[in-house]
Amino acid sequence: MRSFSYASARDSAEAVRLAGRTPGAAFIAGGTDLLNLMKDGVQHHQHLIDVNKLDLARVTESASGLRIGGLARMRQVAEHHAVRARFPVLAEALLASASPQVRNMATMGGNLLQRTRCGYFRDTGSACNKRVPGSGCPALQGWNRGHAVLGGSESCIATHPSDLAVALTALDAAVHVLGPGGARRIPVGEFYRLPGDTPQVETSLRPAELITAVEVPRHPTARRSRYLKLRDRATFEFAVVSVAAALDLRGHFVRDIRLAFGGIATKPWRSAEAEAELRGKNLTVATVEQAGRVLVREAVPRQGNEFKVELVQRALAELLLDLGGLR
Amino acid sequence: MTGLVGRPVARVDGRVKVTGAARYPADDPVPGALHGFLVTSEVAKGEVTDIDTSAALAHPGVVAVLTHRDMPRLTVPPFPYLKGFIPMQDTAIHHVGQPVAIVVANTVEQAHEAAALVAVRYRAERPRVVIDDAAGPPHLPPPFRNRPNEIKRGDAAAALARAEVRVEARCSSATRHHNPIEPHATTAQWDGDRLTLHETAQGVNLTKGTIAAVFALPVENVRVVAPYLGGGFGAKGPLWSHTIINAAAARVLRRPIRLVLSRAQMYTMAGHRSEFRQHIRLGATRAGKLTAILDTTTAQLSNTDEAIFNASESARLLYDCPNVHVRQEGVRLDVATSSYMRSPETTAHFGLETALDELSWALDMDPVELRRRNHTEFNQETGQRFGSKHLLKCYDMASQAFGWSQRKRKPGATKDGDEYVGWGMATEMHTFGAMPSNASVTVGVDGKVVLRTATQDIGTGTYTIISQIVADAMGVPLDVIQAHIGDTALPVAGLSAASATIASVSGPVDRAARAARDAVVGLAVADERSPLFGVPADEVETRHGHLIHSRNHQRRDSYRAVVSRAGEPVEATGSGPNLPGLSYGVVFVEVRVHARLGSVRVTRVVTAHDIGRVMNRRTARGQVIGGVTWGIGHALMEHTVYDRNSGRVVNPNLSTYLVPVCADAPPALEALFVDEPDPGSTALGARGFGETPITGVPAAIGNAIYHATGRRVRDLPITQDKLL
Repeated sequence: MRSFSYASARDSAEAVRLAGRTPGAAFIAGGTDLLNLMKDGVQHHQHLIDVNKLDLARVTESASGLRIGGLARMRQVAEHHAVRARFPVLAEALLASASPQVRNMATMGGNLLQRTRCGYFRDTGSACNKRVPGSGCPALQGWNRGHAVLGGSESCIATHPSDLAVALTALDAAVHVLGPGGARRIPVGEFYRLPGDTPQVETSLRPAELITAVEVPRHPTARRSRYLKLRDRATFEFAVVSVAAALDLRGHFVRDIRLAFGGIATKPWRSAEAEAELRGKNLTVATVEQAGRVLVREAVPRQGNEFKVELVQRALAELLLDLGGLR
Repeated sequence: MTGLVGRPVARVDGRVKVTGAARYPADDPVPGALHGFLVTSEVAKGEVTDIDTSAALAHPGVVAVLTHRDMPRLTVPPFPYLKGFIPMQDTAIHHVGQPVAIVVANTVEQAHEAAALVAVRYRAERPRVVIDDAAGPPHLPPPFRNRPNEIKRGDAAAALARAEVRVEARCSSATRHHNPIEPHATTAQWDGDRLTLHETAQGVNLTKGTIAAVFALPVENVRVVAPYLGGGFGAKGPLWSHTIINAAAARVLRRPIRLVLSRAQMYTMAGHRSEFRQHIRLGATRAGKLTAILDTTTAQLSNTDEAIFNASESARLLYDCPNVHVRQEGVRLDVATSSYMRSPETTAHFGLETALDELSWALDMDPVELRRRNHTEFNQETGQRFGSKHLLKCYDMASQAFGWSQRKRKPGATKDGDEYVGWGMATEMHTFGAMPSNASVTVGVDGKVVLRTATQDIGTGTYTIISQIVADAMGVPLDVIQAHIGDTALPVAGLSAASATIASVSGPVDRAARAARDAVVGLAVADERSPLFGVPADEVETRHGHLIHSRNHQRRDSYRAVVSRAGEPVEATGSGPNLPGLSYGVVFVEVRVHARLGSVRVTRVVTAHDIGRVMNRRTARGQVIGGVTWGIGHALMEHTVYDRNSGRVVNPNLSTYLVPVCADAPPALEALFVDEPDPGSTALGARGFGETPITGVPAAIGNAIYHATGRRVRDLPITQDKLL
């Protein structure tokens, strides 16, 4: 870990101002990922701006939906009554994440910006286009059991690790940010970027922009929503495959549906095509299986992650048939 | 007798550990200590062509950066040093993570930061790191410490050819790392030619002898201190090269240096369980009697040593079989040196107990019955009858507690909701060691009892059990006993590995305590001021710190009074024979396998073990919980991943090398013990046990998965994708 300077900001404007005038600065909140990255030499920041004192930790509900402060802790959001009652996929995704200790510390903003768990990215002795652009991607031919089958490129096939982001993608949430250019609202679908040939650029955040809130709109599908996470041990582990589903059902008729996936793609993966296979149809084993096939139509599996193509279809069927009362 | 041995006594060191008062080797204050951090090779094979240390030397707080150019020439010590070479003696690179420089600075942070500034250039060659990539076929290494790697009994090939029933299985297991929660730490402090090491060592005396050989020092010039260990699992048994390099740097700089390995460094610098292949063939009669065992294994070895630790002991010793052929082969690869990992036999035992399960299905015979029919009361290699072996009773106890008789004789026959339910079992066996050991017991003028022996706190409850032994032998309460261990300044004791601690120290501790008791009784009955004056010594009982005339309980004295009157402490010593042996048991497991997703949960476990006398039911049960959980990790998740192109370990941390968490441990676990003292034991009837309750768990889980699903998985770990 390299030496760095540290300042604590009193309000959002000051945090952004401090970040804007110090190249290489980073915001620190819970620090549950950032400190690991810095200690392992994966990221270097000359200056850290502590945002923990900012008044951004509130969760409020209004007629239009939820507004969750960027500094709200994972545990706090997961336990919030409105989240549990009306946006269960969000509470479930949060509770399926990390450990109780981490959830006590980690914030919404930090969770959304956590970096991939790709072993090559986290090992400074390995090549990695995300860490050192142009150095290569050993995962393409190497250990890729945990890697993406969708959204990858010849530069990078690392998955995005956040469960929260998958749930927010299914909920059509938006990220509110404040930066030197002022405040803006970024739909979650536009927040994450595909790696293409610039895998080092993961989001549409501009320099010195701070996540101030996450907005989750009220929607007929949100109440019947669920998160299924499959992983290699019972808890405290990232998804091998995860599915977030939100359903508006009348009987077995799908009035509306949103589907998002984790563990299989380079960013939280929304599949409009899979949704289209189900919207306006009855939820049956056949329609669900067809949606699964459509989901993985463009999949590019590799030696170590081929099983995800099958597993994600099974996970989708499991979740939807359960949620639809067909099992 | 207060009768504490055998009781579920709570750990006497529990409080100091949970309050942080216990000082582990890296916590011991050493005034003036500098901090070292290793720079390690990024490549797996080749040589260092240049090292530029100028930027690191210019970093604030850096005192020195030493490389192969600056290091003193050192002697590669014999076993127990396993590595075969000492890094930083030349430019050759044998594996990723090999130390190439040590940065020494005033603070840990400065050393870490400066280590990243050392610029190393390499001439790199393409490495071979996994068995699949081996340059040639496996070879049979020469005997290791007089133990041959090929063992033949009878004519196994002919017996297999003649067998009425044959089973053949090919199994594999990934590389595993020990991952103790406490990282390896060493602090070297020189005083002229005398060296003190504060060391995370499972064997302070073994480490002492090894480091003395490296520096050509008289053994008595070295002191090694390790009062507590935060887990070892074998990783801290041998001396590793980081300790040598740190001590050499401290000698060059004439300053104490402390060095703690990073988690990632522990994946290349302190041993591992080798990647492993096994080809096992069994021949049997239709009645289920084994007639042939052929067991050929392949282990991933380094290019600098040839020791194989995944021994096929159970194929040789566990069952009655006249024809056995064990062949333990290896392939040389560009990886760091492997070592023993709790418990080494587990890897090969998986193949035997899996093949037996397959045989039971082939015979349509209950797998417990199959094992009963091959039970033996005789050591298969020496022909000697075991003095005490209650394995059949273990089968009875555990199968009854588990409800095994209710098992359905068809795979995939039981479903509960979305999950298939399966039951499986395996026999467990572990050969435990015993090392020559000594102890002393001192009764102070304040009546306090101090026990001294240079054994180690391996995590199994050493402090507690040796205190229980002293309490019983002397008739004193636990709270007057202070045990001092983990320091070569104490009476010599052996390595805490091979489940040897209890087998090694129980006898000497008991003898020292009894000698101290006898000495105090002798003082009392000879002292006119004692109420016991003139009482024959053999009529004095000791209880609760008191000395009592057995025929007249009114006549009594106390340890404190007697020794206080004597005016000086009473000290006695104990030593004596130690015998290795075998501990047995059986494990039954219930698994639930999701019908469509393939995820596996271990939901119920019952074990029964024959470990001689149970010294402490609570710590023994702790070993079973830990062993079963360790076995679950081995079976279902743990594996070290090498990048085949670079030779690097891709998951060198606890975030991506998955060990079981609490939620993976079985919600129901019943640990039963036969608890019959072994008359042949030199340890108060006890036997070594710590590693036994791992050995059968992976096979029992695999067998249960087969029973649940009809799918036989022989490649560990059994991750979800293998059951889709």
